[in-house]
Amino acid sequence: MLIPRRVKYRKQHHPKRSGNAKGGTAVTFGEWGIQALTPAYVTNRQIESARIAMTRYIKRGGNVWINIYPDRPLTKKPAETRMGSGKGSPEWWVANIKPGRVLFELSGVSEDVAREALRLAMHKLPLKARIVRREGGE
Amino acid sequence: MSDMIKIQVTLRDDFGKGAARQARRAGQIPAVVYGHGTDPVHILMPAQQTTLAVRNPNALLTLVHDGEEHLVLPKDIQRNFIKQTVDHLDLLVVRKGEKVVVDVPVHVEGEAAPSTVFNLEEATVPVLAEATHLPDNVTIVIEGRAAGEHVYGRDIQLPAGTTLELEDDYVIATISEPTVQDLGETGEGEGSAEGASEAPAEG
Repeated sequence: MLIPRRVKYRKQHHPKRSGNAKGGTAVTFGEWGIQALTPAYVTNRQIESARIAMTRYIKRGGNVWINIYPDRPLTKKPAETRMGSGKGSPEWWVANIKPGRVLFELSGVSEDVAREALRLAMHKLPLKARIVRREGGE
Repeated sequence: MSDMIKIQVTLRDDFGKGAARQARRAGQIPAVVYGHGTDPVHILMPAQQTTLAVRNPNALLTLVHDGEEHLVLPKDIQRNFIKQTVDHLDLLVVRKGEKVVVDVPVHVEGEAAPSTVFNLEEATVPVLAEATHLPDNVTIVIEGRAAGEHVYGRDIQLPAGTTLELEDDYVIATISEPTVQDLGETGEGEGSAEGASEAPAEG
């Protein structure tokens, strides 16, 4: 599972969810990709789950690229705790995803296999997404 | 080979993002035409016709204005990555018989040897060709190629009158053994527990 090895500050403010992606909006490495259409915090567990869904479907063949990294910690206060006494403890690692961002890429498989693999992966993600193809390619 | 597409254009007299947005709302795409040492000319093109025309990024366009025709090639296409519409076009003036360098897609024929993974390193390659006879694609054949083999620039089948603008030993595609992927069958729960307990060190 993806997790930063070392961070400068353990607790951060919540990432901003407004606006669109500023980069990483095109399929660069593979032939097919998943593009986000809504903002979301994607956790490292969801990324891993989507990757496993994809690789299980394509079996031995094809390449998978993960273009996002969960580098933002989210904190949570324990249940039934009174307000105050500081910020809660880090609970999740998330990638802050904005509309337009290409999350995963895939290549080396036929169109049918790629579409089904990416469809399965999209079901593991907490956002609306679509399948996009590399520009300029065939 | 590219077909010529005629598009009626109008000169643009309002500038700035407000005017550009107004034009887009009115079903037009702002564009700029330059090349051959001429001053840049700002124009408006019909959105639907232009969007269909530039589905092939190397489409040779004939711009018609006041009865005059000008041959242009799309140099840069700005797209809205969410709506997938064309926002702006840079068009390069070309002349009949002139040779230009364009990126053309690589078409793959055949299938590599069983239980190998084919990876296309370059989806497009630059070629030098006559502006009025640009190839739609170039072909590489990977039929029966074994793992560890590479497809180089010299292996590309080019149409007549076209030369590759890459070195002969430039790697276009590779055929490799499939990598063993972690399918998460052994430790999906285990991994999550590990992740939860693994607190990163501060400082």
